Amino acid sequence: MVSSKELLPRESLLWIFAAQFVALLPQFTQLPLWVAFAWAFAVYWRLEVFRGRRDLPGRTLRLAVIVLTITGLALSYRHWFALEPMIALLAISFTLKNLELVSRRDAFVSLLLAYFVSATLFVQEQTIPYALYGLLCVWVITAALAAQLGSSSARPRRALGISVRLLAQATPLMVLLFLALPRLGPLWSVPQDTSAGRTGVSDSMAPGDFTELSKSTKPTLRISFDGPIPPPEQRYWRGLVYSEFDGRTWRQGFGVDPHNGGRVYWKTGERLLPQMGPRYRYQVIQEASRSPWLFALAQPASETQGVGETADDRLVKRTPVYSRFAYEVRSWPRETLQAPVSLSNAERRLNLQLPSFGNNRTREWMASLRNQGLSAESVSTQLLAHFNSAFTYTLKPPALGADSVDEFLFASQQGFCEHFAGSYVFAMRAAGIPARVVAGYQGGEWVSGEEYLLVREYDAHAWAEIWFDGRGWQRVDPTAAVAPERVRNGLESAAGEEFLQESFFPLHRIGVLSKLRLKWDMINYRWYQTVVSFDADRQQNYLRRLLGEVSPLRMALLFAVPTLIILLGIGLWIARSANGRKLPPAERLYQRFCQRMARVGVRRRPGEAPQDYARRIASEKPQLADYANAVTAAFEQAAYGGDSSAQKTLRKLLRWHFWLRRTATDSRELVGL
Amino acid sequence: MSLASAGKRVTIQSCACGLKKLSSNGFTVQKIVSAIVSDIGSVLLGKERQVKLSLACLLSKGHLLIEDLPGMGKTTLAHALAQVLGLSYKRVQFTSDMLPADILGVSIFDRESSQFHFHEGPVFSQVLLADEINRSSPKTQSALLEAMEERQVSIDGETRALPQPFFVIATQNPLQQSGTFALPESQLDRFLMRISLGYPSREAERALYLGADPRQQLAVLKARINVATLSKMQSLVGQVKTSDSLLDYLERLVLQTRQSPDCAVGLSPRGALALLRAAKAWTLIHNRSHVLPEDIQAVFPAVAGHRLQRDGSHGEQLVERLLRQVDVIAA
Repeated sequence: MVSSKELLPRESLLWIFAAQFVALLPQFTQLPLWVAFAWAFAVYWRLEVFRGRRDLPGRTLRLAVIVLTITGLALSYRHWFALEPMIALLAISFTLKNLELVSRRDAFVSLLLAYFVSATLFVQEQTIPYALYGLLCVWVITAALAAQLGSSSARPRRALGISVRLLAQATPLMVLLFLALPRLGPLWSVPQDTSAGRTGVSDSMAPGDFTELSKSTKPTLRISFDGPIPPPEQRYWRGLVYSEFDGRTWRQGFGVDPHNGGRVYWKTGERLLPQMGPRYRYQVIQEASRSPWLFALAQPASETQGVGETADDRLVKRTPVYSRFAYEVRSWPRETLQAPVSLSNAERRLNLQLPSFGNNRTREWMASLRNQGLSAESVSTQLLAHFNSAFTYTLKPPALGADSVDEFLFASQQGFCEHFAGSYVFAMRAAGIPARVVAGYQGGEWVSGEEYLLVREYDAHAWAEIWFDGRGWQRVDPTAAVAPERVRNGLESAAGEEFLQESFFPLHRIGVLSKLRLKWDMINYRWYQTVVSFDADRQQNYLRRLLGEVSPLRMALLFAVPTLIILLGIGLWIARSANGRKLPPAERLYQRFCQRMARVGVRRRPGEAPQDYARRIASEKPQLADYANAVTAAFEQAAYGGDSSAQKTLRKLLRWHFWLRRTATDSRELVGL
Repeated sequence: MSLASAGKRVTIQSCACGLKKLSSNGFTVQKIVSAIVSDIGSVLLGKERQVKLSLACLLSKGHLLIEDLPGMGKTTLAHALAQVLGLSYKRVQFTSDMLPADILGVSIFDRESSQFHFHEGPVFSQVLLADEINRSSPKTQSALLEAMEERQVSIDGETRALPQPFFVIATQNPLQQSGTFALPESQLDRFLMRISLGYPSREAERALYLGADPRQQLAVLKARINVATLSKMQSLVGQVKTSDSLLDYLERLVLQTRQSPDCAVGLSPRGALALLRAAKAWTLIHNRSHVLPEDIQAVFPAVAGHRLQRDGSHGEQLVERLLRQVDVIAA
């Protein structure tokens, strides 16, 4: 092995750069572009050093580069104490290490750091492609490490081969650690950069928002049921409640938004749960949305850590959903519960709020209805009948002016769910009936024989809830009055031609591809279920299933038994290979003969051939001459003459002698024979 | 005496049976060998082992180097071998002013026929005794050694095959003597075996004094075999079998020559092959079909001695030590 003081050869350098590139590639897409340039520059400089055209940068230059990059980071990121700037700092330090890559030791530091850098990949996502890419990183980095051992191991095929073998050997340990290593919760959490765009339903609703969502096929929720499954027309996944309207945009408003006075019950049992058991139990796996809203059927309760229930029957997460998040939900449909007695004054005020001016035509129409003394149900029915009479459900509604509700209700009469829900709630409030807009997702698609329900972005939906005295909040979906197939069969059947029209490749039209996509989603789902979401709880469950009870002794056994088996295997293997080939049977038998003769007093010398030995035995112990000759002849036949029957004879001779030795008190008795 | 007891059918006789006899078309190797050895033994008294070794060397198509003081019977051995085997025999006395043409032959212009006629040198014979080979210059030595290796000579651009079989018995005086050029290792390697005759025992010497003149006795020696039989016997050497255990021993022995600090250079693969071939011939002479470790041990000093020797010493102790160091049975 080359000494660590020696300069790095060309192959080593190239391998290190390859490993760095593989580890940094995903970061380049996330980090500011100049980080990639900095890396390329450092690599270029180092190669120039290798060619002898340049020196490694001196102390002053290095200091200047460090100051420069830190300034660059400071300018690129506003908030310092967040995950992304930290990753950027790591990446840039890793990059600059190239400028002092001199000895083998530096190479090892750089490559070990490369493992760490490649692990930051999983901060972004933990899906299968990312996991595969992580494997690729580990493969290349390990190969680069192997290539440092010498020029013969630096050949690509050989280095990658060594790497594969090392990784294969490490796999059992990895599986063991994955299953058994205690999972600690995060000791501290670094806030993630929130500047990046949120996806999914947002905390406000303006005309056109949902139209945008309808263009995206990204999966959002995956819901698997434990027990009964709600019928399609009941699958309203509530996420947000909008109570405040400013004439154009619906917002949550004070007292509804958890960040703005809304009450959230974080602890289990803080809120009184219904006495009876829940009708639906399910697990929701939600994709990263960068907002805290969770989605569940009314009225939900969850015991998952960090999930709280709001007073208006929603679930929220304490921190925004930055990566896939799974939560268990129990739901009691409202009709199965006892109706709440009354609405508090504050709530009533909140859900009757209207802007002080605008949309006068609607207000007048509603005022006339109210003056007729109609009940809430009949007002709602009239309004829905109005929708049903002439309205069109379309993904491309015309633009609306200042009095958006008036224009929609009486002029354009074309719209999407947000138009229907918004104008419906506006009208109901104008009629003096407490109402609110609820946003979330509706419907979903079964994957792999009802294993789970896949909800995509285009399933985003807005609907209304109105308050009936004595019956509580009731869901009303005005869209269903116009396009009932939207609720029953999903957006695709309701929007028809318009569905995903703007997508460049209308892949959804190709049945095979749709099926493949569902299949892929299912693989992803299983991956998440089995690997990514293997947290402390699941680990405990798994270990309990495996061990019966999780005790230190049993854990130690779980670790020790496979380790011992592996070590034993290695030990045996080493012992076998150290012994070389096994001694042929004839030679083994002859060795036994030699041992016996040695006991009698004639020890065979190492270089002594069997016949010479037999002659010596004959001269030193004449009484054993015949026996020695017989054994020698049989041995020579067996070992050198290729005669297998001689081996039997040899064995018999030795056994026979053994038998004689036992019966005879003294070996001298042999003489008598 | 039988060790068999009641109920046991194992007897010493039944296991002590010899290895299979090798025989071919009406002649037995045993008979021929014993006739040859006793014939030569009648002229070269008490040197049965050396006679057998040189016979083995001949049977395995190798060349023989005899190293000894003058007057020890080197020439007698070579001459007797040629006589008994029915081969043509020529002798060349090497001197320091010899030229290659003196051995290989020369083309002479014949005036009558106006043509060059090639006059064969002494190398064109079946048994060539190259006496005191180390007294000639390296140039002449190498001309002979070339012929030994290729079994043909190229003169005046024409390649001429040497007679079959072609067997060189070279003698050399101990290197300490004056007027000698040492054979380089590469040329020593051309000789399958190197033996030395040594002084005769007391009884042999007494018999020598009492007996007739060896020169006259040589003249009456009759050929025991012809060339055809000889080549048949040579082909029989290849049929001698070796077991895995024996090859293991050979391997260990060769490895020891390469690893032992006593040896400057180990045995080359060619040397190892030579060892195996000589051992097979030795086995054949002793009328067995399978090589035994004893066979290897018997030929090892003759085959390996000159290949392993260092500083002109006679390597005998070295070879004996190697044989003692390597276990015959795998440990």
